[in-house]
Amino acid sequence: MTPRTPFRARRIPGVLTFVCGSLALILGVAAVAGQWILPHWDRQNLLTGAAMPGGGHPLGTDELGRDIAQMVVAGARSTLSGAAVVAVGSMLVGNVLGVTAGYLGGLTDMFVRRWADLLLALPALLVTIVVAGIGGGGYALAVAVLVVLTSPGDVRLVRAAVLEQRHRAYVEAAETLGLSRTTVMVRHIWPNVLPVVVANTLLNFAGSVVALSSLSFLGLGVPPGAPDWGRMLSENRTLLYDNPSAALAPAVAIIVSAVVLNLLGDRLFEAFSDRRS
Amino acid sequence: MYVPARGPGGPTTPGTLLEVTGLRVVADGALSGPEVVLDGVDLRVAPGECIGVVGESGSGKSLAVRAVVGLLPDGTRTDGGSVRLRDQEILDLPPAARQARRGRGVALLMQNPFTMLHPQLTCGSQIADGLRPGAPGGPAVSGRRVRRAAERAEVARRLAEVGLAPETADRYPHELSGGMRQRVAVAAALAGDPDLLIADEPTTALDAANQRAVLGLLRRLQAGRGMGLVLITHDLRVAFSACDRVYVLYAGAVLEQGSPAELESDPRHPYTAGLLAAEPSVHERLPRLPAIAGSVPAPGRRPDGCPFADRCPHAAPVCATPGVLLRPLPHVPAPAAEGHQRLSACVRLAEIADRPGALKGGAPLPAAGPAKAAPADGAPAPVSGDPAVRTAAAPVPALLLEGVYRTFRSGAVRQAAARGVSLTVPQGRVTALVGESGSGKTTLARIAVGLETFDEGRVEVGGVALAPGRRPGHGERVRLAGQAQIVFQDPYSSLPPLRTVEATMREALAAAGQIRGASRRERAEWTRDRIGELLTQTGLPAGCATRRPAALSGGERQRVAVARALAVRPRLLVCDEVVSALDVSVQAQLLNLLTDLQRAEGFAVLFITHDLGVARQIADEVAVMYRGELVEQGAAADVLDRPRHAWTRRMLAALPPAAVGRPGPAIGPLGPGEQPLQ
Repeated sequence: MTPRTPFRARRIPGVLTFVCGSLALILGVAAVAGQWILPHWDRQNLLTGAAMPGGGHPLGTDELGRDIAQMVVAGARSTLSGAAVVAVGSMLVGNVLGVTAGYLGGLTDMFVRRWADLLLALPALLVTIVVAGIGGGGYALAVAVLVVLTSPGDVRLVRAAVLEQRHRAYVEAAETLGLSRTTVMVRHIWPNVLPVVVANTLLNFAGSVVALSSLSFLGLGVPPGAPDWGRMLSENRTLLYDNPSAALAPAVAIIVSAVVLNLLGDRLFEAFSDRRS
Repeated sequence: MYVPARGPGGPTTPGTLLEVTGLRVVADGALSGPEVVLDGVDLRVAPGECIGVVGESGSGKSLAVRAVVGLLPDGTRTDGGSVRLRDQEILDLPPAARQARRGRGVALLMQNPFTMLHPQLTCGSQIADGLRPGAPGGPAVSGRRVRRAAERAEVARRLAEVGLAPETADRYPHELSGGMRQRVAVAAALAGDPDLLIADEPTTALDAANQRAVLGLLRRLQAGRGMGLVLITHDLRVAFSACDRVYVLYAGAVLEQGSPAELESDPRHPYTAGLLAAEPSVHERLPRLPAIAGSVPAPGRRPDGCPFADRCPHAAPVCATPGVLLRPLPHVPAPAAEGHQRLSACVRLAEIADRPGALKGGAPLPAAGPAKAAPADGAPAPVSGDPAVRTAAAPVPALLLEGVYRTFRSGAVRQAAARGVSLTVPQGRVTALVGESGSGKTTLARIAVGLETFDEGRVEVGGVALAPGRRPGHGERVRLAGQAQIVFQDPYSSLPPLRTVEATMREALAAAGQIRGASRRERAEWTRDRIGELLTQTGLPAGCATRRPAALSGGERQRVAVARALAVRPRLLVCDEVVSALDVSVQAQLLNLLTDLQRAEGFAVLFITHDLGVARQIADEVAVMYRGELVEQGAAADVLDRPRHAWTRRMLAALPPAAVGRPGPAIGPLGPGEQPLQ
């Protein structure tokens, strides 16, 4: 029998979590305070437009001469805050509907499930594009539509987790004590599905970063002129030969934040699961 | 009898088949570093011998044999000692060589017949997979069609060997009953004609009739093939009824070894003696079961020296000296045959052996005499004091079931869990509902507390009538809560995992609307006192109020569940198999606790169990269920000593024989209901 090598096996997740946590912190600071720290992110200089990195511009400039590095930092806000709203909003909808449907069952459950099935059957991004297009675009509309379209996944997930807890003896013991349904749902079942919920919210966050960037790329998200990674990617892709980093930097930012959030979600789930066993 | 065809070069040397010496297994804890799980375990198996390895959960019995086959779970590894199989050291072999030995040298039979077979392969192909090259039907025969036919014939023969019809080869595991699956698994394990079969709790998941049949089958196959058999079990009776020699394991060490007859009549270790005494007998009701205090310590918390020292009534400072070893008994004459030596690890044996009854029936407890509890046996004396008044004032029975029907439908399949059941649980009395798994007894228990609906009939819980066909609404549930509470089987899921014991208890008190006091502070104080009182009543240390369930042992969790149920002061306590997941020593503690509480508080109990000994120990009355019908009920002594219904008689007959050496039916032919598949 070959004994496992516990040393490395345990170290790598630790290092990974640390790196991801630090990156997430940096992203958070950029999203909250980026535009205050770098108030001149939108200063234009057409004379130095589309320049390669160097000369005070570590990542070069875009067509209008704006500094790419500063724009990436400033762009964190619209991309990440929108994604956060989508993730949290969809979590709220998913929890309320998922817990009620899973616990009450019957007709409530049937309606909630049909509704979730219906929304899941629609291609999310396509619907968003159509709705945002008809509604004249706009950031708020895109976010709202994404909330509605992301929530059925949450509903299903939470409902499944609730069903798993639903017939555990501790839930039945609470029912036998004569506690109200709301108490059983909120105080007994919900805390025990929380690990799944938290992890999934981070995964949704990651997915929404990509989705919102895609919408901005298509011109359906933030208005022109606003700093946003998807928009930068879209506007700067013509500069791929003049200043590749103008398109690559926001792309890397999208990828890095998606990966970091995904990994953190996984780690968080594991940590929560460990605590319970 | 089938004689296994051995391949060329098959081992024929007599002597020891398996010899384990000083086996040490450690677990690499995530934070705490390596912990010793098994410390210096010695086992010996001679060819054609059946040994039993008996231990409670946490004793390391499964790990010991998994180390032998090289299938230790992740995070555990062997750390010294030797395992010799036919004089070859196998701990040093590379994994591939050990893999090759599995199935032929050693085969392992697992516990759960519902998960150990591949669900998508026919039973026949699972047996054929293990057939050995060179054996008839093995892959060495040339010509595909010939090979197929030979293989089929061989599989049919193997099935006949375990008492199954040849058609079983084409069935999938889900088409068979648990007992039949276990037989298929036995045939598959034996397909490679192993020299040694290790059976890990092979009968635990089966009901009594199947249990006996599978044990008898294993024993017959073992004798017929001249194979070594290691039977791992938590049940002393099972080991005693089937084995030539039994090792008693506790907390990672072997404490005693001897033949079943010797161990039973003359245990030479306080632990074995305690275990034997703690087992409830179906033939008599003791006023108190002599329980062993405490519970099996976790690997990191074992005392130095003798692992049993902290629970042992005879412990002395000398017991803490490290290096507890099995040693031959000084005054027992020379072993009749090699390997049949009596061994005990108790260092104080010479001193305590002379004390009258020290090693019989857990003597330190005053109540442990053989005296029967005369009043408890027949009609128990009415509970005196306040509870009796309550009983007299309330002629309403604690639970009244009349003509209750409940049928479960799943697709086209209908299964009747209750078919016209009428049962009355009087106030202040203990009624045991016994029956095998699937007889519908748990469904009745759940109906009684409103967790399950019923199709028709009358159900009244302490005067609160339940309506058929729907789950009770909130108001009904609140009224029901004051009448009946339930304690569940599984101690690991019956408490909210993330909340402290105190929070759970406080909620129960609040739900019952019992919390008194004018101000918030008074109420908090009252609650704290009442929780403390309930925990003390159920024998829990005060410190456990702030802990979460994960920090408690199974027995402690079950006590918390009882305390939570009693917080409401119900008139009826429904206990659904509350001790079946606990170790024997802990089970005795809980049974004593329930008896004490019941006598003190005077509530009625509906006690669901499959174990007739437990029923005898706890109940005034016994009702027997069979396939959704109540076939017999009456005073416990009447039903269990003079059973009238054939089913009750069969359940009693299926118990492992009480004494070893008695030609019990355990090794006889297949019992009724164990016919090959038609």
